[in-house]
Amino acid sequence: MPKDRGERRGSSGGKGEGRGFRRRGLGRRKVCRFCADKTMQIDYKDTRALGGFLSERGKIMPSRITGNCARHQRRLTVAIKRARTVALLPYCTSYP
Amino acid sequence: MADRRYETLVLIHPEQGEQGAKELTNRVRTLIEEQKGTIGQIQEWGLRDLAFLVAKQRRAFYVLFEYRATPAALAEVERNLRLTDPVLRFVSVRQAENAPPTPDRTIRRPEPEEADTSTDVGEAGDMETLGEEM
Repeated sequence: MPKDRGERRGSSGGKGEGRGFRRRGLGRRKVCRFCADKTMQIDYKDTRALGGFLSERGKIMPSRITGNCARHQRRLTVAIKRARTVALLPYCTSYP
Repeated sequence: MADRRYETLVLIHPEQGEQGAKELTNRVRTLIEEQKGTIGQIQEWGLRDLAFLVAKQRRAFYVLFEYRATPAALAEVERNLRLTDPVLRFVSVRQAENAPPTPDRTIRRPEPEEADTSTDVGEAGDMETLGEEM
């Protein structure tokens, strides 16, 4: 897994603003992974898939970084929160 | 009242042991059936590590129930689950009518002791190993 900080830094350089009024910088436009692959289901039980959308601290990654569309980000958030209530995913993890 | 498709994931206290968890599973099953629900499938995920401590426990037995029931029946089932002390937590979700039943592979990762369920690690597993190499 890539380091949390590295990812943040990479996207704060203007790359993450793909949806903005005018795109700054040269970044690859991110496509929502769930839109690109229709067979991908968002399921709160699928810890492995959901875990990829958590930061190292266990926080939910913003769509600005993951490139998810609003609809899927919403569903993803709900799924992660469900997984948290049954301790499948952490609310918070201390530094490794 | 129209019945709906639900699934409930239940966490059972590890002190119940394999046997106790089985009994509790059967109790929940009869509970659902008493409420005129029809069981679709029951998946026992076994003893799994929790992401954080729940009731001072590190692990718990996970059992997933898929069934059809009326909303009133669900409320009754949930009420009973809340009264059952060995049930640490549970979550109930309504499922779409056309959603496929949960495949066994969602439990693929859990415990080394359950290595037999990891026969179809499939594409997700391959991708993850690739990612780690990079």
